[in-house]
Amino acid sequence: MSAQKKKAFQIEAFKHRVVVDPKYAEKTWKILEHAIHEIYNHNASGLSFEELYRNAYNMVLHKFGEKLYSGLVTTMTSHLKAISSSIEAAQGGLFLDELNRKWAEHNKAMQMIRDILMYMDRTFIPNTHKTPVHELGLNLWRDVVIHSSAVQTRLQAILLENVRRERSGEVIDRGLMRSISKMLMDLGPSVYQDDFEKHFLEVSADFYRLESQDFIESCDCGEYLKKAERRLNEEIERVSHYLDAKSEVKITNVVEKEMIENHMHRLVQMENSGLVNMIVDEKYEDLGRMYCLFRRVPNGLVLVRDVMTSYIRDTGKQLVTDPERLKDPVDFVQHLLDLKDKYDKIITSAFSNDKTFQNALNSSFEYFMNLNSRSPEFISLFVDDKLRKGLRGVTEEDVELVLDKVMMLFRYLQEKDVFEKYYKQHLAKRLLSGKTVSEDAERSLIVKLKTECGYQFTSKLEGMFTDMKTSQDTMQGFSARHGADIADGPMLSVQVLTTGSWPTQPITTCNLPAEIRGMCEKFRNYYLGTHTGRRLSWQTNMGTADLKATFGKGQKHELNVSTYQMCVLMLFNNADRLSYKEIEQPTEIPASDLKRCLQSLACVKGKNVLRKEPMSKDIADTDTFLFNDKFTSKFFKVKIGTVAAQRESEPENQETRQRVEEDRKPQIEAAIVRIMKARRVLDHNNIVAEVTKQLQSRFLPNPVVIKKRIESLIEREFLERDKGDRKLYRYLA
Amino acid sequence: MHKLGRGHRDKVQQFMTITGASEKIALQALKASDWHLEGAFDFFYSQPHKSYTDTTHLEELYNRYKDPYTDMILADGITLLCNDLKVDPQDIVMLVVSWHMKASTMCEYSKEEFFTGLQALGIDSLEKFLERISFMRSELKDEQKFREIYNFAFGWAKEKGQKSLALDTAIGMWQLLFAEKQWPFVDHWCQFLEARHNKAISRDTWSQLLEFARTVDPALSNYDAEGAWPYLIDEFVEYLNENGIIQNGQF
Repeated sequence: MSAQKKKAFQIEAFKHRVVVDPKYAEKTWKILEHAIHEIYNHNASGLSFEELYRNAYNMVLHKFGEKLYSGLVTTMTSHLKAISSSIEAAQGGLFLDELNRKWAEHNKAMQMIRDILMYMDRTFIPNTHKTPVHELGLNLWRDVVIHSSAVQTRLQAILLENVRRERSGEVIDRGLMRSISKMLMDLGPSVYQDDFEKHFLEVSADFYRLESQDFIESCDCGEYLKKAERRLNEEIERVSHYLDAKSEVKITNVVEKEMIENHMHRLVQMENSGLVNMIVDEKYEDLGRMYCLFRRVPNGLVLVRDVMTSYIRDTGKQLVTDPERLKDPVDFVQHLLDLKDKYDKIITSAFSNDKTFQNALNSSFEYFMNLNSRSPEFISLFVDDKLRKGLRGVTEEDVELVLDKVMMLFRYLQEKDVFEKYYKQHLAKRLLSGKTVSEDAERSLIVKLKTECGYQFTSKLEGMFTDMKTSQDTMQGFSARHGADIADGPMLSVQVLTTGSWPTQPITTCNLPAEIRGMCEKFRNYYLGTHTGRRLSWQTNMGTADLKATFGKGQKHELNVSTYQMCVLMLFNNADRLSYKEIEQPTEIPASDLKRCLQSLACVKGKNVLRKEPMSKDIADTDTFLFNDKFTSKFFKVKIGTVAAQRESEPENQETRQRVEEDRKPQIEAAIVRIMKARRVLDHNNIVAEVTKQLQSRFLPNPVVIKKRIESLIEREFLERDKGDRKLYRYLA
Repeated sequence: MHKLGRGHRDKVQQFMTITGASEKIALQALKASDWHLEGAFDFFYSQPHKSYTDTTHLEELYNRYKDPYTDMILADGITLLCNDLKVDPQDIVMLVVSWHMKASTMCEYSKEEFFTGLQALGIDSLEKFLERISFMRSELKDEQKFREIYNFAFGWAKEKGQKSLALDTAIGMWQLLFAEKQWPFVDHWCQFLEARHNKAISRDTWSQLLEFARTVDPALSNYDAEGAWPYLIDEFVEYLNENGIIQNGQF
């Protein structure tokens, strides 16, 4: 064996260098370049996809991707330059057409090219962070064709011109426009915006600015709004047909601003056709249109609402301060109801029941209704009229409708306690004269008032109904017991009223005729026999009587008169002629009441069962009265009594108001005491605020009155001023 | 005295000797100062009114003025007192005297009221009384005391058993009091009341008027309408504005 060292057996790497023929890359590229040319020249059919793909693949594999890519760019660019020129060469209307066609072709070409170069797209391009083929194609198109100066400006101009033409009524090729729009959108996020939309919006703004100026000079409000609406709809339609959906809100904003916002005030205030005129003429369609359009602009509805509110307030104020209107309370209230109906209708049909408008309406009504201090009285008179005769023959549902509407007006009243006073008076008269159309309607209204104001408000009213019912039962008992003895005498019907529930009446003197007196005594004894510990006093100023009278030629009439009048007339059973004094003495009726009742008996045509000497209008102490033998009337039953509820005279109104003020004082004091008992210590302003809050469902207390009540409570040692802070009050237990 | 311990008793003796005060006062002072003599002296001398008065002298004085038939000083007695003091019976200092006496009603002093008042002032003779006149006048200059005297005047001037003060009496009192205090509106106020109000004055209105006079300046520039002033004062301000007495904050 030899001692030779053995070398480790090494396996060498296979260094097979495939030296590509430098010309190979060039050759392959040329093939591909040729293919691209063919594709752009519409000769793609002759090409083999497989071969081209393989060539591209090999180029990339053999590290010639760069060459391939840059070659692609160069080739495409030169093609696109040519395309650009041909587009520029197109005349007039054909420009757009040509552009569109070339774009479609380019897209097709791009697809094929990308397919061929798919391998590069997937490997070389991501690795080198170059733009992928498809995107490259778009970018090149954009940069070379669209942004070539000639094409860019012309494209913009033609697009805008088309829009303008369409706006003036011409028909344009919408499909073409859509394709171009889509092209711009495809070319990149801001191409559509910068190349088209921006300018579109500017030009549109100018367009509409001019157009609106023109319209506003030549059209009235209604027409203008119609035109504006039409333009708005047009733009929306335009966008849906051939623009980017995102443009819709932008272009509508432009129209809204130029056509509506800039002319808002002028439109609303337009003479003879503005908002107020629309309301007066009940132009629901126009109002609805105004609402929809103005809703689109900031503060549009605020403006409409404000103008409407001040109009309602002004007309309302006029209505409640117009002396002519105030002469007939029932008519006045009907007017208010009609007004409310009108506005309600406008708000429901034209203003889509917008709550803010409802609220504005409510506050306006509240404002002007309370400007007239007699509103509560008038509403009660209206209700009185309805319940006396207005609702005769009306269905139950309709009755409810009317009452609900009245309740709506009632809610607006700030002085609900005044209403309560009048309502009580009028209800008393209705009940006692038996002149109510429907007891159900009366009760229904009481229920509504109770729901609105609570039990306290209606407890006395309900007491009045109870008394009427109880009196009926009492009368039945009375007839049953005394049936026999009273059969011959005058027929007596008594209502026994519980003092607290009925409106307070001053007790007046009146001597009833002997025939009546006997009956009354019998009743009194009967009643007191069954109800011990009670006191009865005859309310001679509230009763009525039916008298059978025979006149000169034997005409018989039935006279319906007040109790006072009955006493006066009965005197004439024993004398044909009596002086004023001779009437006053035996009856002892107070002078002012007596004069009033004599006036109804002697001075009113058609009802003059008495004659007066002298024939003057007013009653004097020196007058003489004679039984009017010659009295005639078409009717058998003649109504002379003055018992119906009437609008109060000024002095009566003053008196009622004074009573209301007096009633309010204890209520205010009770509220103050309640509050201070709970809070113990409170400052002046807060007391006033709390008292107002507590009482506002009945009336709005006057801060000066509240202050006076506080001082009265201090004097009576319910409260004291804090020693340190004079504005603070303490409750004294 | 025999309830006290020896040490305390001694201190009481010492105190009485040095100050000349009564045992009762000595005890009061020492108790108030926790049985430290120095403190007790401070206490004692800081209440100059509580000086020693001789009750027998007071009896004599009282008897001089007291009504022959009743155990009270009535109108005649008061007139005599005023003469002796050389002051007009309408002089406001008599109000101060009444205040010290805590007199319940004007034109009469009960024996207790007389004694209380004069002891509080340290008076047991006519001479001392005369001396104290100027002191009493000076009390009116003190803001706090004036307020007490003013508020006292209401109860004192009104009729017994009435809650409010009759208007003319009130006006008289106001003229008197505000002559001291110098309120520029006093005449307008009285005119206003006679023209517009014509009813008795409540206690609250009376006391609040002083606050009004003290705090609101003559141009009414700091009059706060929300200031919870009695309504009569609010009406007075309106009256001043209506009649041009106050115009644009000028008076």
